[in-house]
Amino acid sequence: MNAVHISVENVNYSYEKTHPILKNITFTAKEHDCIGLIGANGVGKSTLLRLMVGLNLGYEGNICVGGIPVVKKNLSAIRKNIGYVFQDADSQLFMSNVYEDLAFAPRNYGLSESEVEERVQKALEMVHIEHLKDKQVYKMSGGEKKLVSIATILTMMPDVILMDEPSVALDPKNRRNLIHILNGFRQMKIIASHDLDMILDTCSRVILMSDGKIIRDGDVKEILFDKELLEAHGLELPFCMQGAVSV
Amino acid sequence: MNKLDSSLCDIHYMDVIVERNRWLNHIYPLIKLVVTICFITTTISFSKYDLAGILRMGVYPIIVFVLGEVSFQDALRKLRVILPVVCLIGIFNPFFDRQPMLEIAGVTVTTGMVSMFTLMVKGIYSVLASYLLIATTPIEKICHALRLLRVPVVIVTQILLTYRYIRLLMNEARHTIQAYSLRAPNQKGLHFKVWGSLVGQLLLKSIDRADGVYESMLLRGYNGEFYYDTRISCRAKDYAYLATWCTVFYCLRVII
Amino acid sequence: MHMADALVAPVVAGTMYVCSTLAATYSVKKVGVENEPKKIPVMGVMGAFVFSAQMINFTIPGTGASGHLCGGMLLTALLGPYAAFLSMIGVLVIQCLLFADGGLLALGCNIWNMAFYGCFVGYFLIWHPIVKHGFSRAKIIGASMLGSIVALQLGAFSVTLETMFSGITELPFSLFVGTMQPIHLVIGFVEGLITAMVLLFVYESRPQMLQGTEKTNLNQSEGKFSLRKVITFFVIIALLIGGIFSLFASTQPDGLEWSIERITGSTEIETVNSHVHIVLENIQKATAVLTDYSFKGTESVFGTSFSGIIGSMAVLGICLVVCFAFRYLRRKKKTI
Repeated sequence: MNAVHISVENVNYSYEKTHPILKNITFTAKEHDCIGLIGANGVGKSTLLRLMVGLNLGYEGNICVGGIPVVKKNLSAIRKNIGYVFQDADSQLFMSNVYEDLAFAPRNYGLSESEVEERVQKALEMVHIEHLKDKQVYKMSGGEKKLVSIATILTMMPDVILMDEPSVALDPKNRRNLIHILNGFRQMKIIASHDLDMILDTCSRVILMSDGKIIRDGDVKEILFDKELLEAHGLELPFCMQGAVSV
Repeated sequence: MNKLDSSLCDIHYMDVIVERNRWLNHIYPLIKLVVTICFITTTISFSKYDLAGILRMGVYPIIVFVLGEVSFQDALRKLRVILPVVCLIGIFNPFFDRQPMLEIAGVTVTTGMVSMFTLMVKGIYSVLASYLLIATTPIEKICHALRLLRVPVVIVTQILLTYRYIRLLMNEARHTIQAYSLRAPNQKGLHFKVWGSLVGQLLLKSIDRADGVYESMLLRGYNGEFYYDTRISCRAKDYAYLATWCTVFYCLRVII
Repeated sequence: MHMADALVAPVVAGTMYVCSTLAATYSVKKVGVENEPKKIPVMGVMGAFVFSAQMINFTIPGTGASGHLCGGMLLTALLGPYAAFLSMIGVLVIQCLLFADGGLLALGCNIWNMAFYGCFVGYFLIWHPIVKHGFSRAKIIGASMLGSIVALQLGAFSVTLETMFSGITELPFSLFVGTMQPIHLVIGFVEGLITAMVLLFVYESRPQMLQGTEKTNLNQSEGKFSLRKVITFFVIIALLIGGIFSLFASTQPDGLEWSIERITGSTEIETVNSHVHIVLENIQKATAVLTDYSFKGTESVFGTSFSGIIGSMAVLGICLVVCFAFRYLRRKKKTI
């Protein structure tokens, strides 16, 4: 199988003509990459992720996923290969129980019920939540919902996983668990977050965005340990580093 | 404001009992739905003066309460919604329909009194029967039964999604209302001035939620069709259940 | 406003089910989910929204009383009539199942009384004609108020008719109508106010969400929606209701004819009715099972005796004892 890669070239995007959200974004991502997309609130991290799965079209420039340009007619093929985890798990989980929710995507792609069941089981195992299989969605805690929403995209066995603020609203234990699970995935991951400690624990490469532009793109430690750079763009050093500095 | 709280409580409670592992909970949903409808139809088809006949129909709720191990007290609480309406309508009958009908211990009972009681019994029985259905069958399974009855997929999906998002939006409404009442302590309800903005905000939030849900469906290959779990099937036991009750209803209604 | 199962006779319940089903089938066809799959989640979530908004108390200015929202008119202005109608069905089904508000058999009536008028009459006869050349604050307020009041008046009138035709109350028709209509005038007024306020908020924050002007998508498909079709639909429904009800009335003398006599003050209708009766005799034969069941009681009105009631109670008593014994034994078995 070909190495899946994402290429974003000179992309400009705006919801309203007068306010550009993304300005001249260019980067590429290779197979097995794990990229942290960081930046203050409202710099366009989520928008960038949404462009990659074609939730917003009408951008300028080129975006290709696995060599296929992200345009309307290719969306079905692209989305089969790319999983997008929403920030709000409640938007992602619309069926009432976990099994039904996980089965939604494979059923839509026409798999037989036995294959569907197999996929669901496998996805549950990958995030270690086999015990939640028949649970009602509304009865689960925020942490469980997050894990289930990650499992929902794994049922399609995507080559690329995009995540929008995965650690937000998780307690420390659940957050740790999430990091553990993310590190177990071999797929390409792009994680948008301002939880820099989590980025530090999961990613090897970081893209720092500010005001719709890419400021820096490089090694995780290089960027996350650069206090001045981070503070200039509305962020702070990861907490683990703050401790190290003050001691 | 309490209505939001109590309804949420109700929903949570129903979730718990519906998932219990009881004999009745495992009867095929479509069969239970059909039996319930047969029971209610038979019950309300009794003449308004046939108090004796209608009382006999109580056999069904009594037996099903035991079979399903459903709490009778909880069912009684469900009556509080509909019984007042029924009573209000029925209460006038004794005044307008005063033909003497029978005599009990020297007291003349009029037709109006009998028809009032019949109406109340009908009301109680039909609510109990619906409650027994829903206390032993999850909404998803009832929706599956509706699909089997050829109800269009749009409507069934509708019901499922509404059910899924009720709690979320009710919780959101509850939080908004709580925040409101903390700052407006002496009001029983929403002040006229905030009707538009408060409910409007809630509406916009709901719309945004709908957008999110739709996007998440799209990303997972949704193209207008919902697929259902087709693994449960109707067994001999289920048919026997249906046949037994239909025979009983027939006997109670026609033969006796 | 929800009707209970006990308040409707099977014939009435069945008729209203047929009517509601017709309207629902037509809506499913017209809503055009094939071209706009987005409508499905929007309808579902909006249904849930109406559901929760119904539980909010609105203090009526100047009084201590509180009002509530029903939501048909609000939805129709936001989603268009077909999607709104289907959403309302979802809401009513869940209310009926989860909260015992309304009943399984009365569902057809409830859909008709509470969803049909608000969504269809409210849209086609009021909302659309008023706002079709563009929105303004005054138009939105006017249309919401008028729509809600008309929808609730029609709904209340239907409740009255359905209850009367079911023959379960001895309340004179005039008295019943005389109580129902004014009460629902007030309710409709409050509902209209709430609807207007919410729609104004939407108009100011996201005007593109409102339906009904010439520009919105809905209307492109609606250009084909001819008045003739509307009239045909209503005539069919009227015939259906009239047919089944007169079938009913002909066997139950104090039903329809009685009230019609009261309303019109003439007996002229009776001749028409007997004519209809002949036409319908065949249908009556075909549905003999039902009619026989429903009216068997009329001959045996005085057949109910004290001993009969006692007998029935005895049956129930025995049944109770047996069931409790069964339960007791089973529990004992479990504990052992």
